[in-house]
Amino acid sequence: MIMNITDISPWNLAAGYILFTIPLSIILWLHVPMFTQTIVSILRMTVQLLFVGFYLQVIFRLNNPWLNSAWLLVMIGVADISIIRGCGLKMMKFVLPLFVALIVGTSLPLLSFIGPVLKLPNLLEAQYVIPIGGMILGNCLRADIIGINNFYVSIRKAEKSYLNSLAQGARLREALRPFTGDAFQAALMPTVATMATIGLVALPGMMTGVILGGANPVTAIKYQIAIMIAIFSGTSITVFMAILLTVKNNFNAYGLLDHGIFKK
Amino acid sequence: MKPAPAIEINDLSVRFDGKTVIDTFSMCIEPGEKVIITGKSGSGKSTILRSILGFIIPYKGAIRIENELLTGKSVWKLRTCMAYVAQEPELGTGLAGDILSRPFSYRANLHLKGSFDNVPELMERLLLPNEILNKDIAALSGGEKQRIAIICAILLDRGIILLDEASSALDKAATLAILELLDSKKMLTVLSVSHDDKWLSFSDRIIELRGGSTGI
Repeated sequence: MIMNITDISPWNLAAGYILFTIPLSIILWLHVPMFTQTIVSILRMTVQLLFVGFYLQVIFRLNNPWLNSAWLLVMIGVADISIIRGCGLKMMKFVLPLFVALIVGTSLPLLSFIGPVLKLPNLLEAQYVIPIGGMILGNCLRADIIGINNFYVSIRKAEKSYLNSLAQGARLREALRPFTGDAFQAALMPTVATMATIGLVALPGMMTGVILGGANPVTAIKYQIAIMIAIFSGTSITVFMAILLTVKNNFNAYGLLDHGIFKK
Repeated sequence: MKPAPAIEINDLSVRFDGKTVIDTFSMCIEPGEKVIITGKSGSGKSTILRSILGFIIPYKGAIRIENELLTGKSVWKLRTCMAYVAQEPELGTGLAGDILSRPFSYRANLHLKGSFDNVPELMERLLLPNEILNKDIAALSGGEKQRIAIICAILLDRGIILLDEASSALDKAATLAILELLDSKKMLTVLSVSHDDKWLSFSDRIIELRGGSTGI
């Protein structure tokens, strides 16, 4: 069962924007102070997606492994900066370790997906590596913001309890373990909840995309299961590695947290 | 040969945000000595205890524990020579019994697991009912928490114990029970911050801090 996806003409898409008048009218009517912000977000969404659409067309046409990898690195770099900003932390001490965590956490499940699962001969095939990499990375971004923020803010809040562990003879790793566990749990909880309700509450994006692309729903489900495995392993690896790799920079030789890492 | 001092501080200066809190403070505490630090609020009493634990890095001066200089490298070993009880102990979350057993899961304390058998005796000596061990630590009163923290410190079997107003939430009977317990441990070095007269009469020596400067 192969169907062709119906394209949307630019005029029809422009007409679709009319729907925005409903939320914008409600915002104005309720005097919610987010009208300008919403307009800016709509414009950004349009420009960014148009840019990415044109850029991806070129990338897909060239399908050069080096170019594909470079684009993936750009995506990782943007995610890296967005995570640190989202956590309210200072850039310098996090940017490099988090970049490494994101590279490992994205590429490992991505290559497993494309290699052993899809059995594609070219591991860096643009059609697969970029959208699937983007999905893993998008989920890592959300999980890392929750995880890293939870870890450092919890230690700052419960610093007396943390110092008490050190006074009782805990090594740094031992004193940080409960905070690492809590941060890991908080970061992964949304994905665990998604896995438990997937297909019941909503059809996930990947599956919808594959079905819209004309594939059999059973094939779509197989893709969805594989991507959920990749997302869950990817987020686990990045959160765990991000905490592990950033600790070295942010605790001194005495095991004390550097409070200078927080923006406020 | 005379044994090395348990704690030796030379010309310790501590600054917070450019303000001097401790200025060229020195003291020497012999093994087994029971010493009390007194002084007005803000005179730096707690700062001295926290500096000894390596929770504050001094601006100047040196701290030696059992003759070993406190540095970023040695602090991890030296912390295992001491036990600490804060004025408002924050012991983590969970049941009081789990809080007591938690430090024994740390590698440095694995060999001390046997001392956990002394919990019932210590609970009785510090006038705490055993049922408290099954209660959430957050549900305990300030005085109960302080006694749980003291029991934990005693179970760790360190040579030095640092107490920061450790009986501030206790009544007379419970305070005396703690003093009796500490007094029975002749080899234990005690350095305590307190204003309580009962502690002052228990001590071998009193160090009075005057406005952060040397005042022994």
